[in-house]
Amino acid sequence: MGNSPTFAQQIERLEDIVRRLESPDLDLDEALKLFEEGVEGLRVMRERLTNAEAKVNEALKTENLDE
Amino acid sequence: MGVELDLFAAASAEGAWTVAEVTRRARAVVEGGMPPLWVRGEVSGMKVWHSGHWYFALRDGTAQLRCVMFAKDNRRIPAAPAEGMKVFAFGRPTVWEDKGEFRLTVLELLSTEAGGLWQVAFEKAKSALARDGLLSPDRKRALPSYAQRIAVITSPDAAALRDIVAVVTRRWPLAELVLLPTRVQGEGAVAELCAAFTRLGRMGDLDVVIVGRGGGSKEDLWAFNSVLVARAVAAAPVPVISAVGHETDITLCDLVADFRASTPSAAAAAATPNRDEVLDDLAHLGARLSRGLVSRVDRASERIGRTGDRLSSVMARRLERHRHQLATASGRLDALSPLKILERGYSLARDARGQVLRRMVQFPPGLAFRLRVSDGEVSARVPES
Repeated sequence: MGNSPTFAQQIERLEDIVRRLESPDLDLDEALKLFEEGVEGLRVMRERLTNAEAKVNEALKTENLDE
Repeated sequence: MGVELDLFAAASAEGAWTVAEVTRRARAVVEGGMPPLWVRGEVSGMKVWHSGHWYFALRDGTAQLRCVMFAKDNRRIPAAPAEGMKVFAFGRPTVWEDKGEFRLTVLELLSTEAGGLWQVAFEKAKSALARDGLLSPDRKRALPSYAQRIAVITSPDAAALRDIVAVVTRRWPLAELVLLPTRVQGEGAVAELCAAFTRLGRMGDLDVVIVGRGGGSKEDLWAFNSVLVARAVAAAPVPVISAVGHETDITLCDLVADFRASTPSAAAAAATPNRDEVLDDLAHLGARLSRGLVSRVDRASERIGRTGDRLSSVMARRLERHRHQLATASGRLDALSPLKILERGYSLARDARGQVLRRMVQFPPGLAFRLRVSDGEVSARVPES
């Protein structure tokens, strides 16, 4: 798991981008960069949501039940 | 005991019975004459011994019956009854030979009061947990908004698990469910539930835990009223959602958990967002994103527009000034133009080469020349003398 961002992290980042883009004092180049990142983030998240299939794992039995 | 009741033999000192013989005989009579039976009465003088055996008496207005309930039998009873509690006891009447005491060996004990012994046990455990601060609302942790890994502690082959899997799959298929199968009732359930929580602590990367089971009798749900399980829930490294039995069954596990759901399905719903709603949220964020950029670009182009306007008005003013200068200059030029002079009636004579003829000497007889008047030229000749 570890390296790729969680959905929670992704949506947090997107919310942050939107907030910054809505703030009045933002350089235009920076705005364009943020917009691009936001659009890409949206695409990735939509894809994750539409392609996801729930995984069901059984935790491996590692202990001996003493009964 | 094969001893015959021989009143004549017993009537003389020589035939006296030993104490052991009498008590043994009494025991045989009691056990032979009274099969196991239900007795009702009020509990009095309850003593719980180190061995786990319970000693108490049942009494009513006029009589009292000594009782013992051995540890192996009382283990299934949620709590020792309180003083004065009205109970039904099922047991074997007998005589305890060591003490020559008539008593009831109790095998089963039920309380006729509201909630019964379960309630007694529940309240006792609850107050112990409250003393340790485990029921404080401040302890409740927030559930994750977008859970990625959800542990489920429940029976592997029950409707509860199927419900949880179905709801999570439908609402939030991004989630990974990690099942920790345990018994949820009967012998071993408490130990297995506690072990599952211990394993949880070593797994890491979990966002939330669902623990629970479907409905059942009070006895079926009892593992979830175990203080051990309640403490394991409290010690869980991530928020715990508890869903035990039906809406009306509230267990200690429910009370200690960070969130109590009325059913396993409701627990699954509490653990996950709804995908459709999240897609809506994303659409909303996308719209704000575009609006944000558009208004930023609008601001920039407005600024460019304003700058352009200033530039063109400066240019226009400058142009106007030049135009004015030009008009003045051309007016002056106009006044100096020879054409103006011609208009006043003067004319200009020029020879064939275009040279201006100003003096008499330049007009020899017979010279052909051209005369420029205000609106054109006229050919002329000096007469031959």
